[in-house]
Amino acid sequence: MASSLQLHHLISSIPPPVSCLSFQYLIPNFVLFKHPVSTNTLGFNKRYHRRIWKGKNKYPDFFLQASGVNDDLIKDPLGKPNSNLLRHQISRLRQTVISLPPLVKSSPGSVFMLGFCIATTVLIVAVRVYVARKLSYKRPGSVADLVRRGQLNSDRRGISKLVMYDDPFNNPQVKISKNNSTVEMCGKVYKLAPVTLTREEQDIHQKRRSRAYQWKRPTVFLKEGDPIPSDVDPDAVRWIPTNHPFATTINDITEDLAQKNVYQKHGVPFRIQAEHEALQKKLEALQTDQKLNNLVIDPGSARNFERPFKSNPKLDDEQVEKKSTNGQTNSSQPNSHGSPTFEKKQTM
Amino acid sequence: MSSPRLLTEPSSLSSSIFLPLNPLHKTAITKPSAKPYSKLPPIRSVLQYNRKPELSGTTPRVVVITSGKGGVGKTTTTANVGLSLARLGFSVVAIDADVGLRNLDLLLGLENRVNYTVVEVLNGDCRLDQALVRDKRWSNFELLCISKPRSKLPLGFGGKALVWLVDALKDRQEGSPDFILIDCPAGIDAGFITAITPANEAVLVTTPDITALRDADRVTGLLECDGIRDIKMIVNRVRTDLIRGEDMMSVLDVQEMLGLALLGVIPEDSEVIRSTNRGFPLVLNKPPTLAGLAFEQAAWRLVEQDSMKAVMVEEEPKKKGFFSFFGG
Repeated sequence: MASSLQLHHLISSIPPPVSCLSFQYLIPNFVLFKHPVSTNTLGFNKRYHRRIWKGKNKYPDFFLQASGVNDDLIKDPLGKPNSNLLRHQISRLRQTVISLPPLVKSSPGSVFMLGFCIATTVLIVAVRVYVARKLSYKRPGSVADLVRRGQLNSDRRGISKLVMYDDPFNNPQVKISKNNSTVEMCGKVYKLAPVTLTREEQDIHQKRRSRAYQWKRPTVFLKEGDPIPSDVDPDAVRWIPTNHPFATTINDITEDLAQKNVYQKHGVPFRIQAEHEALQKKLEALQTDQKLNNLVIDPGSARNFERPFKSNPKLDDEQVEKKSTNGQTNSSQPNSHGSPTFEKKQTM
Repeated sequence: MSSPRLLTEPSSLSSSIFLPLNPLHKTAITKPSAKPYSKLPPIRSVLQYNRKPELSGTTPRVVVITSGKGGVGKTTTTANVGLSLARLGFSVVAIDADVGLRNLDLLLGLENRVNYTVVEVLNGDCRLDQALVRDKRWSNFELLCISKPRSKLPLGFGGKALVWLVDALKDRQEGSPDFILIDCPAGIDAGFITAITPANEAVLVTTPDITALRDADRVTGLLECDGIRDIKMIVNRVRTDLIRGEDMMSVLDVQEMLGLALLGVIPEDSEVIRSTNRGFPLVLNKPPTLAGLAFEQAAWRLVEQDSMKAVMVEEEPKKKGFFSFFGG
C-alpha cells in the first residue's frame, strides 16, 4: 500500500517531457505486479504478461506500456520518439494511477490488514528458521542426522559394493576458501582457526614433562623372584609376573640364534631344518638298529594275508621262485622239486 | 560442558600432573572457545593437497603409534594412515605390536592370511619374508603381526627383537620400506616398552577428554625420556557440535594442554565402525568420508614431517540463497 502511494507521488512528480524509457528503469518489478491493477487500465507487453503473473519473470526490467497503443506509434518514421505520444502516455498513466481501486488507496482498515499480513509472514519465516535450526541440532548422532550432515550416504545402507578411491592428489571433496577461513569437506563447511602453539610453549611442556616423569626404559625382563644378574642395572629391570597373559621370560633359543633367524633371507628356516635333520637321524638310527629287521615285512607271512585274487601273477611267480631259492639256501636239505641237472651244473 | 569445568577447578589444576601451572592454561580453558579465534593471526597455509608429498627424513621412518589409553583409535589410525601412505606411493610395513590384543589384521581384512608371526620368525619356524602379509589392494603395504593371540611373546630379548626386525627390513632384497608403522598396545606395560624400542618418531593418538589427555601426557613423557623427540598428535573423535556447545574441549585446548604439534584432527564418523567391521579401511571408501579425508591429510603431513597450521573449530551453516527461507 505504501509503495503504491509512493509510486503515485513519484509518477505525479515526473514532468511530462521525461522520457518513458528512463521511467521504466525507475520502477522495480515487484512494486508493479504485486498490486491488483486491472489490465484494462494498465497494459503490459504481451510477451511478459504471462510470465509476470506466473511469477517466472526472468527479465528484471520489463517493458511498461500504456494500453491500446501500438509499438509502432511511439516512434516517428525516422526512429526518434514522438514527444506528443509520450506526453499522451504519461498522462494516461497518471490517470491510471489516480483511478486505482480503493483497496490500494489509503484506507485505515486495509492498511491494518496489509500490515497484519506482512507481520504474519515475517513471523512465519522466523518461526520456520528457528524450528529448522532446532531440528538440525536435535539427535546429532542419528542416522538421519548423519545423512543430513553428509557423513553418511543414505543410498549406501548395509554392506554395499566397495569401490576403490584412487586419486588422493586432486581431491574434489576438500575445498578451501580463498582467504583460508573456511574449509568445505564432504559438503560441510567448517570454520578454521590458526594453530597458536609456539616452539617456546612446546619447550615449556617438554621441560615440565622431563621434571614430572623420570623414567628409564627397562632393557632386561626378569620373572618375578629371579635373582638380578650382577652386570645388570636394577633400574633397567622389568619384572614380569609368572602368570602374565601374553609375555614370558622363558626363551627356547638363545639370543644369537634368534637374531640369526630374523636375519635369514633364504633357505629353510632354522627350526624346520633342525627338525628335518633330527628326523633323518632318527630314521637312520632305526635303520641301522637290529630291531629294524623285525619291522621288515616277511613275504612268506605276508602271503597269508593276500587276497585270493591275483592281481599280478608275474610278481607272484617271482615271489614263489624267491621263496624256493631262500628255502634252498636256508635249509640244509635239498628241496624235492629241484632238478638234478641244475644241481650238477652248480657243482660243476 | 562438564569436562572443561572440571579442568578449570583449582584443585584439579594443582593435583593433575599433566596440567602445568602456567597462566597459558588457565586463560585457554576458561576463555570461551569462540571468542579468541577472531583475534588470532591469519592462516598462512592449510593444505597443499594437489601434489604428491615429498618424503623427508631418512628411510625407513620408524613411527610408533601410541596413546596410553585404550580405545582411542591407535589401530584405526595405523590402518588408515598406513594405507594412505601406500596410496601415496610409499612402501609401508605395519607391525602390530599389540601382543595381547591384536586387531590390526581385522581392520585391514587380512586376518585369514596371517599364518606366521614374529614369534615364529624368532623361533626359526619361518623366515621374515614368509611372515609378512602383503595387502592385495595395495601391494606396497605389508602387515607383520608380532604374535598369535594365544601365544606368549618371549621378552627375554626385550625390544631387541623389534630392532632386529627393523634392521632386517632395511636389508631386504626388494629394498628398505619407506615407513615402518608400529601399532603400540595400550598402557605402559611390557608391550609398550617393546613397541617403542626401535621407533624414531611417535604419533600420539588422543581423544578430547580428560582421561585420554592424562594418559597421553604421561606417555609423551615416557617417550621423551626414551629419547623420542619427534612426537606429533592426532586428536580423534572430534565433534564440532559438542565443541560449539562447550561440551567438549576444542582441538586448540587439547594442544595447549599437551604442547604437541598437530598431525591431524579426525572428526567423529559413523563410517569408522562400518569400515572396521568390513575390514576395509576408511581411506579406500568412495566417496571418501570425513574421517577418511582427515586420515589422508594426516598421512600427507607425516610424509613431509609437517604439522597442522589451522584446525576446524566449528561447523558453519552453508550459505544459501535469499529465498531459501521461503523453502527455495
